Amino acid sequence: MRRAPIVLTSTAAGLALVLGFHTHAPHGIALGVTGTTGTTSTTGPTTTTAGSNTASTATTAPPTTSASNATRTATGTFVQYRYGDIQLRVTAQGSKIDKITVVQEDATDPRSEEINSQAIPMLQSQAMSAQSANIDGVSGATYTSEAYAQSLQAALDKLGIQ
Amino acid sequence: MRSVRRVEQVMGTVFSFDVRVEGMAADQIHVALTRAGAGLRRADAVFSTWKPDSPMSRLRRGEITLGEAPAEVAAVLGLCHTARALSGGWFDPWAMPGGVDPTGLVKGWAAAQAAAGLRHAGVDAGMVNAGGDVVTFGSPEPGRPWRVGVRDPWDAHRIVAVVEGPAAVATSGCYERGQHVLDPRTGEPSAAVASATVVGADLALADALATGLLAAGEAGVDAVVAAGYQALLVLPDRRLSATPAFPGVCAAAA
Repeated sequence: MRRAPIVLTSTAAGLALVLGFHTHAPHGIALGVTGTTGTTSTTGPTTTTAGSNTASTATTAPPTTSASNATRTATGTFVQYRYGDIQLRVTAQGSKIDKITVVQEDATDPRSEEINSQAIPMLQSQAMSAQSANIDGVSGATYTSEAYAQSLQAALDKLGIQ
Repeated sequence: MRSVRRVEQVMGTVFSFDVRVEGMAADQIHVALTRAGAGLRRADAVFSTWKPDSPMSRLRRGEITLGEAPAEVAAVLGLCHTARALSGGWFDPWAMPGGVDPTGLVKGWAAAQAAAGLRHAGVDAGMVNAGGDVVTFGSPEPGRPWRVGVRDPWDAHRIVAVVEGPAAVATSGCYERGQHVLDPRTGEPSAAVASATVVGADLALADALATGLLAAGEAGVDAVVAAGYQALLVLPDRRLSATPAFPGVCAAAA
C-alpha cells in the first residue's frame, strides 16, 4: 500500500478554480487561483509571491494569459481561514493542470495544525469538485432514489438530458 | 457522436444510462435502452431478498432448489463463489444472516449485463451507473476514456478521485443508507474504512470486492490486487489510500 501523493495530476478546464472551503470557513472564504490572482510565470522557475494576507473572498476570472501549451504556474493569494493561512500553487500546461501544491500553511497553535492536516486534503478535493464538468459519472455507495435527486450523478444526467 | 441518456428507478436506487452513438437510428437506441431497463427489472424480480416470492427468497427458504430457479441464479451464485475466493473470504454471501445473499454483487452484475446488451445492440460507447457502481465501454469521445469521479464520503457534491479508463468502478460505503457492514469472520459490524472503491474489468466482481474491502479495510487490499483489481480507500480520518497502479487521480493524502 502506498499513500497517494499530495499533488494532483489531472485535466481541467483551465486555471480557473474556485476552492470553496465551507467546512472550516463558515463565512464562505474562497480561494481564487487564476492567471490573474497571485503570480503567473511561464516555463522557468516558479516564483512565489506572498499575496494579500486577508480573509477575503477572492474571486476567479477566466485566465487571461494566452492559451499556449507552455507550462504556467499560478500561485494563489494567501487565504486566512479559521485555523491559519494557506496558499496553493497550480501548475498547468495549456489547459491541463499538472499539479496543485500547498505552498504554505501556517497554523497558529498545535490544535490547529491537527485540523490543518484534515482540512488541506479537503481543500484539494474541492479542486477535484471544480472539475466535475469533466467527469462522466460518479461512483459512490449505493444511493436511495431520494438521495439520487441530490447527487452529482443526477446533475450530470440532467445536463445530458436537457 | 450523439449522447442519449436515460434513468431507471429499480432495485431501490436509480440506474443512469449514457450511451454514445454514431449512425444508429433513434428508434433502435430507444429499443436497446428499453430492453436494458427491462433486464434490470427482471434481475430485481429474480434476486430481490425483500420480495418474499422472488426466486432468490424462495431458494433461501428452501422452497425451491437451485435447479428450479431461473438460470441466472446459478450464474450469479457462481460469481459469488469466485468473488469469495478472490476477496480472501472478506466477501461472503454465505455468512449473511438468513441464508445466502448475493445482494452485494447483483447490482453490479445487472449493470454489466445491461452494458453488454447495449454493446451487442450496436451502441458504440456507453456508461451504466447502477446507483454508484459504474460500468463503461468504448470511448465517450474520440481520443479520451470515460472519466468517473469517486464521491467524498462526507460530501455528496465533492469527489476525491477521478478514475480513467477501466470498465468497472464500484464503491461501497455506509454513508448513504447508514447500514452496517458485517465482518464475515466475526459476524460483528466493521467500520474499517469510510468507503472502498475497486476498479477493474468486471463490475460484478468489483462490486463484491468493494463490499469485502469495506469490512476488511487495508487488510483486504492485497487480495484485491492479486485478483487483478485496484483499490482506493477513504479512511475514517479522511486520508486516502490507493494501490500503486490505481488508474486515476487522487485528490490528496495527509
